[in-house]
Amino acid sequence: MTDHKLPIVYDNEKAAPDDDKAAPDSMSRRGFVKKVGDVSATSLLGTAALMTNTDDAEANTEWAEWFQGNYRLMSQEEKAAAVARLERRYSAEYDKKVTVDSTPAEKGVLFGYALNIQKCIGCRRCAKACVEENNQSRGDQEIEWIRVLKMEKGDFDASKMPDGYPDSYGIQVGGNAYSASGVVLEGEHYYEPEKVPEEDAFYMPIQCMQCEKPPCVKVCPVRTTYREPDGIVVVDYNWCIGCRMCIGACPYWARRFNWGEPKLPKKDMNPKTHYLGNRPRMKGVVEKCTFCVQRTRKGRYPACVEVCPVGARKFGNLLDPDSEVRRVLATKKVFRLKAEANTYPKFFYYMD
Amino acid sequence: MQTNKQVLTNMIVKESKIVAIFCLLILSLSSAAFAEDKVCFEAREGASSVTQKDIGEELKNVRCSDTTDGVLWWGDPFDGTQPMGDMPIEADYTHGEAVVKPRTTQLGLYPVCGLACHNGKFPPPVAADAPPRKLTMHTDLVPDALNLQHGKGGIWCLDCHDAKTRNKFVDNAGNLVDFNEPQKMCGKCHGQVYRAWRDGIHGKRIGEWASTGKKRWFVCTECHNPHDVQQGERKSGFAQLVPEPAPLLPKGMDNADHERHGSGH
Ligand code: HEC
Ligand code: HEC
Ligand code: HEC
Repeated sequence: MTDHKLPIVYDNEKAAPDDDKAAPDSMSRRGFVKKVGDVSATSLLGTAALMTNTDDAEANTEWAEWFQGNYRLMSQEEKAAAVARLERRYSAEYDKKVTVDSTPAEKGVLFGYALNIQKCIGCRRCAKACVEENNQSRGDQEIEWIRVLKMEKGDFDASKMPDGYPDSYGIQVGGNAYSASGVVLEGEHYYEPEKVPEEDAFYMPIQCMQCEKPPCVKVCPVRTTYREPDGIVVVDYNWCIGCRMCIGACPYWARRFNWGEPKLPKKDMNPKTHYLGNRPRMKGVVEKCTFCVQRTRKGRYPACVEVCPVGARKFGNLLDPDSEVRRVLATKKVFRLKAEANTYPKFFYYMD
Repeated sequence: MQTNKQVLTNMIVKESKIVAIFCLLILSLSSAAFAEDKVCFEAREGASSVTQKDIGEELKNVRCSDTTDGVLWWGDPFDGTQPMGDMPIEADYTHGEAVVKPRTTQLGLYPVCGLACHNGKFPPPVAADAPPRKLTMHTDLVPDALNLQHGKGGIWCLDCHDAKTRNKFVDNAGNLVDFNEPQKMCGKCHGQVYRAWRDGIHGKRIGEWASTGKKRWFVCTECHNPHDVQQGERKSGFAQLVPEPAPLLPKGMDNADHERHGSGH
């Protein structure tokens, strides 16, 4: 395991959070790798253990992080140690008591989501609530996981699905190269009217669909993004090398990349985090919606479900016939975005 | 606020000057605290207000949008709630604990309704089947009573409000319904929506997602203005809102003209 792990660490300069700034050059991974050259894996780990004796708490946790394994393959003890390390570092960094949860998936739970596209008014509160909850970067490095697209009424018409080639501009969504479905998916991202909903418009929020067959997982060369047993697709940020293959593979444009050092003001930081969810990210890693794993694994609705003022967002356990999502699936007209891509999203759109 | 303060101080002055000064101090202190508290709204602007406050270390009851004052995040989804009470129709709905926020705290006239006004003497009571008429009162709520923006001309105040006990609604069987349980009254005409609401499809709930979990249910009037569900030309049950700001433009792009329909195409 350590054998295949180290070369990735060597090559990866992007994934280093603030490579040369966070730690003095001699302490940074790049500097370290330069010095160490091709020492064996075991002695590297030995060095890491030695480093933990220094005074600088932040440097210690940083160090240990470089040598931790892929979260999915860690033992319970290793996970506990990784989480404790992060809690120490984040608490120091953000001046408050930060918890990093590692609650695993619950048996018998498969998360699903349903969104009423007829009710959505395009107010974007979901996108902002998501940022409040999930510690995304702010300001000129702003990252939002949810995008609300404004579509002109008539752009989307389920009854046109079996028709010929789209007669309008835009990107064809349904069918294939030989037989198009006649659905266009082109929306405005940057609409700014005084009030929403506007006349003759409907709105389509898009976020990670938590596919059952996620293309992003297939392409990840380091297997740092994977599907959890409760159906959510997660990223171990520490193991992400920033190659962005997953971003290219995602048909839903659901993944975001930290091009710069994330900007998360201390006062805005949400201290209740999960290792696989909203813990602060570093420069050079990919992130995306996890259905608020830090909340949902503790029983709470995702933040976007709670904030939606019109109640268009429903969430629950797909394996529970009494759950709100299952009731929607049982009684409403439901479709999935780009169903023909065979990604089997667990995010459903519905109409009354 | 200001006038109340004056009335109160005037009363106290008669009693004792020292007490008056003391009270004035407390009042001004409390109003200073008021000024700092941010008031946000949940779903219905102006009728689902919540005041931001600390509920724990580093934890606020709500976090709100700086641009729209809309609530964006609940620190405690059950803050300020009370048990919902029974469902009028027994059926297969979620069996977890259900709580609601009381509506009466949002209503300015509720404290006087049935006491100072509609107390059986003043103003003179009307019969339950009295025909619709022009009203001179409550024009802030219902600008034109003969053109009530609900029911397309088919319904009237007393289809919802009880004729005698005005601080209650009335259901189809003539039972009185509390202002905190509007669903029992709305449900008498909107059976289908009511059932969908009970199943968790219409409206919304916050709290725990499990079907057996504890949830705060939003009641009908937290989203709909009962006196204006038609909104004139809009014909929509939900009032328009100011949207949150658009996302950041991609680097190097200084406007979004490329996506404005009609200009680029
Ligand atoms: C006495 C019967 C009655 C009661 C009680 C009643 N409504 Fe209505 N409501 C109507 C009628 C009639 C319409 C018009 C229906 C239509 O156009 O098909 C209507 C329409 C509506 C609409 C849709 C408006 C639109 O055009 O989209 C909403 C929302 C609504 N009511 C909410 C409520 C709420 C909330 C309550 C309880 C506070 C309530 N109603 C109580 C009779 C009633
Ligand atoms: C569809 C049912 C319905 C009809 C019709 C209706 N009301 Fe109401 N009314 C309500 C409900 C529900 C509330 C409580 C609102 C809330 O909780 O936000 C209310 C509240 C009120 C209040 C107290 C508001 C406050 O802010 O304290 C007044 C006054 C009132 N109604 C007057 C009227 C008058 C006058 C009419 C007729 C012109 C009328 N209502 C018609 C349902 C109705
Ligand atoms: C979370 C907010 C919310 C709550 C709570 C809520 N509604 Fe609605 N309701 C909506 C929205 C949004 C619409 C769509 C309005 C539109 O299309 O303009 C709607 C539409 C309606 C309509 C008309 C359209 C339809 O679906 O038939 C009725 C009637 C209605 N609601 C009644 C009720 C009643 C009765 C309750 C309480 C049992 C209730 N609502 C609770 C948000 C809510």
